[in-house]
Amino acid sequence: MVREVAESCVDSLLTEMVASYCNRFYANKPELAARRIEAIGYQVGHQLSERYTMERPRFSDHLEAIKFICKDFWTELFKKQIDNLKTNHRGTFVLQDNKFPWLERISIDPSTDKVNSAEDDSLTTAENKAASTISMHLYYPCGIIRGALSNLGITCAVTADISNLPACSFVVRVKA
Amino acid sequence: MIVCVAVVGHQNNPLYIQSFTEADDALKLHHIVHCSLDVVDERVNNPKKSGPLLNETFLGLLYPIENFKVYGYLTNTKVKFILVTTDLDVKDADVRNFFRRFHAAYVDAVSNPFHVPGKKITSRTFAERVSTIVKSFGLTSAV
Repeated sequence: MVREVAESCVDSLLTEMVASYCNRFYANKPELAARRIEAIGYQVGHQLSERYTMERPRFSDHLEAIKFICKDFWTELFKKQIDNLKTNHRGTFVLQDNKFPWLERISIDPSTDKVNSAEDDSLTTAENKAASTISMHLYYPCGIIRGALSNLGITCAVTADISNLPACSFVVRVKA
Repeated sequence: MIVCVAVVGHQNNPLYIQSFTEADDALKLHHIVHCSLDVVDERVNNPKKSGPLLNETFLGLLYPIENFKVYGYLTNTKVKFILVTTDLDVKDADVRNFFRRFHAAYVDAVSNPFHVPGKKITSRTFAERVSTIVKSFGLTSAV
């Protein structure tokens, strides 16, 4: 008996979680909020990887495990696969998703009607603020990836890169 | 008859040991499970060409000791399941089936948000599911 939940519920829950941690629990300490959100993602990734590796044969090396994350794990979470995987064969992997579902609904406000040299500062600070808010939302999926990989025996650090939305890259650095 | 099942974590720390005999030989069963961990490591690191596939989760009969047979199963997350039984005519398919259901119960127990990874599994639901699986072991072969 499998009980299902609407995807919009999960989206709303995540948005609210990030908002709570950033604005209420750790109001002026974004680093602590980020760490907490990433820790939540870590535990979720840990448990999910346990569930999704159930029927599969074991992985022979790091690349197999990363490919599992890109294909099966991502499909279970987002019903799509990672669009592009790059590696430097020395422990760094870049997982690129061209249309990350959890960022789909976030509007990117261009503010192009105020291009004026006197207001350049406010434009860049507005951009920075938007970028930092968006990066708060990405700590959770980074934690999920880190938790899943650590359960498969790979200690790593995961960061997200949002230079061009809605595409989003996750950089995984394996600790040798 | 299944004597004991055990779940051992990836640092060889025991997560769950349950014996199903009335005799008070818990220590002996602990010892048997502990010895079987070495055999699991050996099987994983030195695969025999004629043995099972390198990447299979089910490791098969690990070793016979006294009148017990010990079966092993290694998950992708390096968690080991050990099954100790006194049956003499155990079918491979039965044991695989057992481990499959046991793995499902384990995954459900670990998904509990109150469970701390690395600590012992204290869920009563898990214990009940395990005893149900143990009771129905070998009975389905009559079909």
